[in-house]
Amino acid sequence: MEFEPLNDFESEFEQELRQALERRPAPPSLKGKILARRRGARLGRRTVLWQRLAASLVLAAVLGGAAEWQQHVREERRKGEEARQQVMIALRITGHALEKMNQQLAAHDRAQE
Amino acid sequence: MAHDWQPDFEQLVDEHQSMVFSLAWRMTGDRGLAEEIAQDVFLELDRHLGRMESAAHTCNWLRRVAMNRSTDALRRRRVRGLDLWVEMDERHGMRVEPNASPLGTRLEHLLTTLPEAQRATLVLRYQEDMLPEEIAALLETPVATVKSQLQRGLKLLRAKATCQLKEFIRNREQASGI
Repeated sequence: MEFEPLNDFESEFEQELRQALERRPAPPSLKGKILARRRGARLGRRTVLWQRLAASLVLAAVLGGAAEWQQHVREERRKGEEARQQVMIALRITGHALEKMNQQLAAHDRAQE
Repeated sequence: MAHDWQPDFEQLVDEHQSMVFSLAWRMTGDRGLAEEIAQDVFLELDRHLGRMESAAHTCNWLRRVAMNRSTDALRRRRVRGLDLWVEMDERHGMRVEPNASPLGTRLEHLLTTLPEAQRATLVLRYQEDMLPEEIAALLETPVATVKSQLQRGLKLLRAKATCQLKEFIRNREQASGI
């Protein structure tokens, strides 16, 4: 479908329509309202940004604290395991010493008989 | 920004506010609503300013957003053409431009009684002087559809205008006792 005026009258009508649809001037207050809303929107975005930053810092501090706590727990476990090992060694030594003493006592008893 | 064009927001407002306002007004028929839409369009421009590549790109972007927001507003309000015309006359102060012809003023009123799709194509063609191909790209519609809407819209508008003119003449004749 070709877009062309159907006839002269159509063309005159289109001209009339074109004139009728000339851009209307914007209300004088429009620009001021746009700029005011823009300022408000930017302030809002900045506030949200600061809030997000603060929340990130708090989260980082919490996570950092949690990591430190985990490290502390690991360290305590390590120390506990170390102490346990030392006790086991001590018990083994004591066990050997007791056994040796028993053997010596048994030998002495046999000698006396 | 990935391109050299450095847009100034206030300058863009000065340059395009009448275009955006007129598009919104002609689509909705409501001056107050058109003002709100125009504000929303420019706030959206502010959020996307970094993506504007050139003056022409910005102009086209503004047209598209203004048309989309106007369409959304109409859908929300479910405005009916005849009621809208009455509203315009009685409440929203459809101002008669000093140099406007009576037919021109009526055409502007009658435009808002057309189906939305026809109204959109007529406004973009005769207010913005866009070619059918450009209108099709902006509205994301086939060119053939745009041309069809333009033809139908013109025909319907002319029929309504003729009908109104006849009624006007008849009323005048009756009033003067002819």
